[in-house]
Amino acid sequence: MWFLLSLLNPLLVLLFWRGAFESSASPLGDWSYNAIASYYLLLVIAGSFLQVHVEEDIARRDIQSGFLSHYLTKPFSYILRKFFQELPWRIIQGFFGVLVLILFSFFLKNGLFLSHDLIGIIASIIIVVLAFFISFLFKMIVGISALWITEFYGLQELIGIIDIVFAGFVMPLALFPPFIRTLSYILPFAYMIYFPILSFLGKLSSVELLQTIGIQFVWLAVFGIIYRMMWRRGIKKFTGLGQ
Amino acid sequence: MIITISHLKKFYQTHQKEPGFLGSLTSLIHRKYQTVSAVNDISFDIKEGELVGFIGPNGAGKTTTLKCLSGLLYPTSGFVSVLGFTPFERKHAFLKQIALVMGQKNQLWWDLPAQETFLLNKEIYEIPDEQYQKTLSELVELLDVESLLKVQVRKLSLGERMKMELIAALIHSPRVLFLDEPTIGLDVVMQKKMRDFIASYNQLHKSTILLTSHYMEDVRQLAQRVIIIDHGKILYDGKLDNLVKKFAKYKVLSVVLDTYVAPDKFKEIGELTDYNFPKAIIRVSRGASNVAAAQLLEKFPVDDLNIEEPDIEDIIRDVFTKAEK
Repeated sequence: MWFLLSLLNPLLVLLFWRGAFESSASPLGDWSYNAIASYYLLLVIAGSFLQVHVEEDIARRDIQSGFLSHYLTKPFSYILRKFFQELPWRIIQGFFGVLVLILFSFFLKNGLFLSHDLIGIIASIIIVVLAFFISFLFKMIVGISALWITEFYGLQELIGIIDIVFAGFVMPLALFPPFIRTLSYILPFAYMIYFPILSFLGKLSSVELLQTIGIQFVWLAVFGIIYRMMWRRGIKKFTGLGQ
Repeated sequence: MIITISHLKKFYQTHQKEPGFLGSLTSLIHRKYQTVSAVNDISFDIKEGELVGFIGPNGAGKTTTLKCLSGLLYPTSGFVSVLGFTPFERKHAFLKQIALVMGQKNQLWWDLPAQETFLLNKEIYEIPDEQYQKTLSELVELLDVESLLKVQVRKLSLGERMKMELIAALIHSPRVLFLDEPTIGLDVVMQKKMRDFIASYNQLHKSTILLTSHYMEDVRQLAQRVIIIDHGKILYDGKLDNLVKKFAKYKVLSVVLDTYVAPDKFKEIGELTDYNFPKAIIRVSRGASNVAAAQLLEKFPVDDLNIEEPDIEDIIRDVFTKAEK
């Protein structure tokens, strides 16, 4: 249950915003208190369902300890194997995330601020699914970089911090100063967490929904190509050590 | 020929780091790389159904060769062909016909019974239900693990786990089996059981088996053919008996004496290598062994006499030390 602790982080940040709302009428422009509260609650689910952690296993167990040898000698795609190993974890954590969400949404005066538009909801589901694949592919790339980098911990921490800021875990990206905001829209992290949440909050227009999906497909293609290239080159470097 | 290796070379780049803090700083700016030649031009062919033992000291290149054959390592140069495939391409059709078992590294799921891993492999290798059941019961019987199938792998002893590892590796009836140090860490009884199993499996299924080992017993009991490898080169490739005849120019006479005889008296017979009254061990040249034995019986108070082949360990040690020169 240790992962529940990290899920509660967004809720702590919410306390901070509550204070801000109490001191001034609308500190966040067109973000009502309900909206921001819903944002952080949805972060809880996004964090548990859409944050993939496969890179730890890949780098430490498979590559550094050599268990990759077992996967390489079997007639089954490595990436597919990793996908199905990760999926149950996401489902279980996502399930707990939903429970936490339901529990805390009772404390919201006007209920959860969600999109009620059917097309919006369908688009949101598509965006979430794409976000999961982008997240997964990205972490696969981070993981197999251990084929080149021996001190993996540094890379992991660096990615972790960039992820926290630019995926929207600190606060909605729309509230960032212009330069950081633009940067976050260029980086892929926003498309793993932030935009799925925004679409469920109903804060994206139809055009923006389509744009998001389009950009997600682009990121999928980019990561797919990068992964394949890295895999091909990296596998030749794998020495099968660690016995 | 089911396996062909021709002029295989595998070199690794390792970087040299000077000790100490200054060394760490320097290695950030300028790294000195050294080439380690793990395998340095080896060639051999193996026919279907052969049971071949690779022996060599640690670091000889045995595991590297095995990994090149199973597709794990990309050769630096040379030609490798197994079952008509290039192993490194790791085509599924190739992988379905081989198995690699590494002594200490488990493929079994730790928290579940071994049977779950077998079922997983059944799906991965696309084994039909009937064949799976048949192979499973045959292996379970041969290895005598019926009662352990539903026990969590973490609760099994090392020997029991190795048996399960073997079943997991053989459940898809591979045509070629690579065993990397299969008896390492096992107790004497388990080692024998492992060897018996490997020998029976080879007989029953005519599967080609390559095993690496640095235990002489493995080789003595199992391998019809032996390839000795050291420092990445093949020192000998052939039958074990021929190895003895070719490299051991001597035989060993082990004697049990009735009454004490002074050590230097044995000089006329041969070289006395060990004397712990009443036992004595004398080395004589191969051709002269019968004459020497007769002389011993005639001139010395002998209670018991045995003419033996020299210990394979000693022979191989001689081969290695000769190679180093």
